[in-house]
Amino acid sequence: MKTKKYKRWFELLMAMTLKELRARYKMAIFGFLWMFLNPVLQMLVMGFIFQFFVPIEMDNYFEFIFPGLLAWNFFAYTVSKNTPMYVNERALIQKAKFPREVVVLAVVLSNLFHFFVALVLFVVWLALIRGEIYWQLWWVMIMAVIWLTMLTSGLSLLLSSLNVRWRDINFGVQALLPLWFYATPIVYSLEWLPMWLTDWLKINPMTGVVELLRLSVGLESGGFYWQGLLVTIFILTLGIVVFKRESLFFDDWI
Amino acid sequence: MRKKNKLAVSLKGVTKKYAWHYDKPTLVELLLRRKVTSSFIALDDISLDIKKGEKIGIVGSNGSGKTTILKIITGITTPNKGTVRTWGKVVSLIDLSAGFHPELNGWENIYQNGLLLGMSRKEVSRKIDQIIDFADIGDFINAPLYTYSSGMKLRLGFSIAVAADPDVLVLDEGVAVGDWDFQQKSRDKIAEFFAKGKTIILVSHWMDYLEKHCQRIVWIENGKIVGDGGLSVLVKYQKNKKS
Repeated sequence: MKTKKYKRWFELLMAMTLKELRARYKMAIFGFLWMFLNPVLQMLVMGFIFQFFVPIEMDNYFEFIFPGLLAWNFFAYTVSKNTPMYVNERALIQKAKFPREVVVLAVVLSNLFHFFVALVLFVVWLALIRGEIYWQLWWVMIMAVIWLTMLTSGLSLLLSSLNVRWRDINFGVQALLPLWFYATPIVYSLEWLPMWLTDWLKINPMTGVVELLRLSVGLESGGFYWQGLLVTIFILTLGIVVFKRESLFFDDWI
Repeated sequence: MRKKNKLAVSLKGVTKKYAWHYDKPTLVELLLRRKVTSSFIALDDISLDIKKGEKIGIVGSNGSGKTTILKIITGITTPNKGTVRTWGKVVSLIDLSAGFHPELNGWENIYQNGLLLGMSRKEVSRKIDQIIDFADIGDFINAPLYTYSSGMKLRLGFSIAVAADPDVLVLDEGVAVGDWDFQQKSRDKIAEFFAKGKTIILVSHWMDYLEKHCQRIVWIENGKIVGDGGLSVLVKYQKNKKS
């Protein structure tokens, strides 16, 4: 009985994830191709902008910013889409009793798919320009992706629950995400900052994710910062606790 | 010896409060404490047992708590106090077109809706021909939902809901949907559920319909049960309404 319940939960999550992917690409002529084209175009545009319009002197700036940009895009896109999710999907909530968490987790998973495709393309591209595949630290990359998924899921659950009760949470998120971007060493390196500021930035869990991802593709500036991991575990726990309490009453507020 | 459970739904001391909101609730208001929060009690300490196979009608004036009690039985919301237990699958036939995705086609929506209603993937696969057959929307099954007329959406929604094979069925008088043919078909289907001895919870303003289909009537007024019994409750309710 218990396993059946988990199986159903998983099936529902997969169906919702596929829905997210399908609904996005359904009407496009290229269909499946868009899933690959999208991240490639994004990489090219982002790389172009930051390489030529941000005056930074650095060797291989292109490969330096990419891991961070990809992780950030996944994070920011998922969190900003998920925050108003239960309000937008009120028809689903009012339809039946089902595990509410699948709605936001499906967005996390479908975007994770995009992130993963982009990451693989990035590694292939790195291998091409370096002339060798750097894969000794593949498990570090997996850890970074798991870390990022934990953070994104926790924050999605937390913010989407709170936004049901207070609709201005969404405005706050939209306003804070750009600031958060610059508080994360994505287009710059931690080494360029004064010590006191670096210590503060290490508390930012996205710093930890980005630096770990850099480490995994063999960039010198990468590293592991445990402070952010603690913050991530805290956010995930808080997200689950708040979600569990609030999700029982979603229907009352939408 | 195991005693066989005869209940389908059991509410014990259920109280449901709602906060009044005149506008979208915001955090800023809360922090500034500009808003006087007031709440109203939609259901006040309600206890109700519904036996398996019972056909029960719920009556009451607008805002009496009928909708809230259905939402609690279907598990869409949770009471602030008290306990709810249901045995078997509860499916609501109210708001049939909810939960569809406009960009997905009929097939994909059947899967999504079916899973939301508690079917497994395998179960949907097994029943999908039957669902499509019953909905009878022709080639539209291959088209995205936004091309459907509202009648088609209702038909598809109805077909999925009845295919979920509910043990407890929640419906209102508007359940006969679509064109005349389909109305006939859905009435037959509902009659089938009645004949199979499923538990049926009916909400209606249509007294003849209740009289014909229910053995038990629960009358709710201001969040409290004021009458619970046979069809005589219905008579009292009607008298009360007229006076």
